[in-house]
Amino acid sequence: MQPMGNVSDTHVVVIGGGGTGAAILYDLVQRGFKATLFERGELTCGSTGRHHGLLHSGARYVVKDREVGRECMNEVRILKRIAPEAIEANRGIFVAFTEEEEAYRETFEEACAEADIPTQWLDADELLAMEPRLNPTLRGGVMVPDGTLDAYRLPMHFFAGARQLGAVIRNFARVESFVFEGRRIAGVTVRDLRTGTDETVACDLVINATGGWAGKLAAMADINLPITPAPGTMLAHQGRLVNNIIERLRPASDGDILVPQRGLSIIGSTQWQSDDPDDCRVPDADVELLTNAAIDMVPDFKDTKYHKAWAAVRPLAGASSTEEEGRELSRDFEVRNHGTLDGVEGMLSLTGGKATTLRIMGEKTVDVVCEMFDVEASCRTADEPLPNYRQFFRHGVLV
Amino acid sequence: MKERTVAVYRTAKKAVDEFTVPYNERTTILDALEYIRLQEDPDLMYRQSCHHGSCGTCGMAVNGEFVLSCIKRLADIPEDQAVRIEPLPTMHQIGDLAFDPAGFFNEFPDDITYKRVSDVNTDAAVPEDMEHYERFESCIECGLCVTSCPVTVDWMGPAALASIHRMIEKNPDEADTWLDRAAEKRGVEQCTKDFSCSRVCPTGVAPGKRITLLGSMIKKREKARASEEKQE
Repeated sequence: MQPMGNVSDTHVVVIGGGGTGAAILYDLVQRGFKATLFERGELTCGSTGRHHGLLHSGARYVVKDREVGRECMNEVRILKRIAPEAIEANRGIFVAFTEEEEAYRETFEEACAEADIPTQWLDADELLAMEPRLNPTLRGGVMVPDGTLDAYRLPMHFFAGARQLGAVIRNFARVESFVFEGRRIAGVTVRDLRTGTDETVACDLVINATGGWAGKLAAMADINLPITPAPGTMLAHQGRLVNNIIERLRPASDGDILVPQRGLSIIGSTQWQSDDPDDCRVPDADVELLTNAAIDMVPDFKDTKYHKAWAAVRPLAGASSTEEEGRELSRDFEVRNHGTLDGVEGMLSLTGGKATTLRIMGEKTVDVVCEMFDVEASCRTADEPLPNYRQFFRHGVLV
Repeated sequence: MKERTVAVYRTAKKAVDEFTVPYNERTTILDALEYIRLQEDPDLMYRQSCHHGSCGTCGMAVNGEFVLSCIKRLADIPEDQAVRIEPLPTMHQIGDLAFDPAGFFNEFPDDITYKRVSDVNTDAAVPEDMEHYERFESCIECGLCVTSCPVTVDWMGPAALASIHRMIEKNPDEADTWLDRAAEKRGVEQCTKDFSCSRVCPTGVAPGKRITLLGSMIKKREKARASEEKQE
């Protein structure tokens, strides 16, 4: 592809209006690109908004992957600075309820230290003084800088920033096909659900930021993208029981995180695999499993009222055929250039990733875009506070 | 799984389409719409994000009742009743059940904050470097209160006024500035004390009570100012 002389002439189309798309779009316009985002439904309607809200310091991943842990911690520091209104900045506590969990302390603390994640051991009395509703049989816990994010409002902060800088955002606009010029994607055909009409939009680059749907979208361009849609169930009860995130001091498994958010207690999650990212109905067994898991940690959970059970699709990078393999897939993300990998020019895909790392996913993706178009513009998204999410709506209705 | 028929408003034909959806005791109106979109009609438009009553995007009218579709359960509607799903009538319609909430959000003053001191386990110890635990405000800005309000003149509406009252509760020192806003022509004085806003609120914000309290504060301030003038 020919590098463009004038940055503002380069038009990038982002497909997918989730957190990743929001962060990419904001970064693109901040670095001077012309950018348009298409989302088939309402913004954040895929996996993004359904997140349980755990802002990860990285501690959950760090034993398995120091770099993912370090990256999360760095992003937590940045997000608290640039979008403070979208985060309940309390803490996370990895609680040892069993002897086995207490024995995991050393491995856990060492890994956190190597990834620059600050920890503080709390003995049983100290911990119960902070969280009086925890199961009193606990043995202690490790406090880390986790928090609760607003899964809708955090990405909307990025959309607000993008819109303020002139990005075009089209919701209820579904990409139907790609327009090819030889082996290069030169545009997209989009159906506007508001009007029922199709239109073609020319662009210099398409970025596939559709998360669990990335494989489906890539297939429309005859590209085989290894991705595993892995849904998980979450359960919310009415009544906030704790202020800090409660997690179990053991390797990540089902039903081991309890997230307080507003007046709710959210217990997550489970994990299974699906060929179809759209199929994430809640398995009946999950509700009982999660209820019991929450009661194990916070006995008062049994007296709270059921609010909602729902499921969301994690976009795991890589292919796996079994659920055990799925658990082993990294939560890291990857920017794939289909020009070099698959011989289809003009398209990047993102695979993997997490809500906490949306900003850095945007940064690394736009770094690749800058390199492709020979543009020198450094990322500023970590330095400048985002406009409040309500500012998104100050620019009038979307058309 | 049991099945039932739901009628969904469609903009293109200005009438409802009927669909048959499977459901169990947990299935919500939003789950039913997801089923319809994925199995029957990919062009069906509706707003959704969190699926657990936190984002405030999925407000709809179900049999005339204004609800968050993600937590309104199909099984809670008696089986002998038809189910009719329509868009929130006062919002800017963009298609089927979807609306654009720009007008609603424009009523919120720019400097309204969205966090508060946590209200649970208030005697609990906090980490050394923190003064208190914090949480998001209860208001999820879904617009159900504004939709239910019978006042038809152009005014700020219950959501924005409730948020102003919250600002005074959080920052008593700034009460004067916020009361100035609430006392504007488009503010408290337009309220007819119907309290439908409080009845419809899915998160217990009680906007009606808050508007009433703002009204009392404004009156009290007027009285205080009048007696000050007298003394002078």
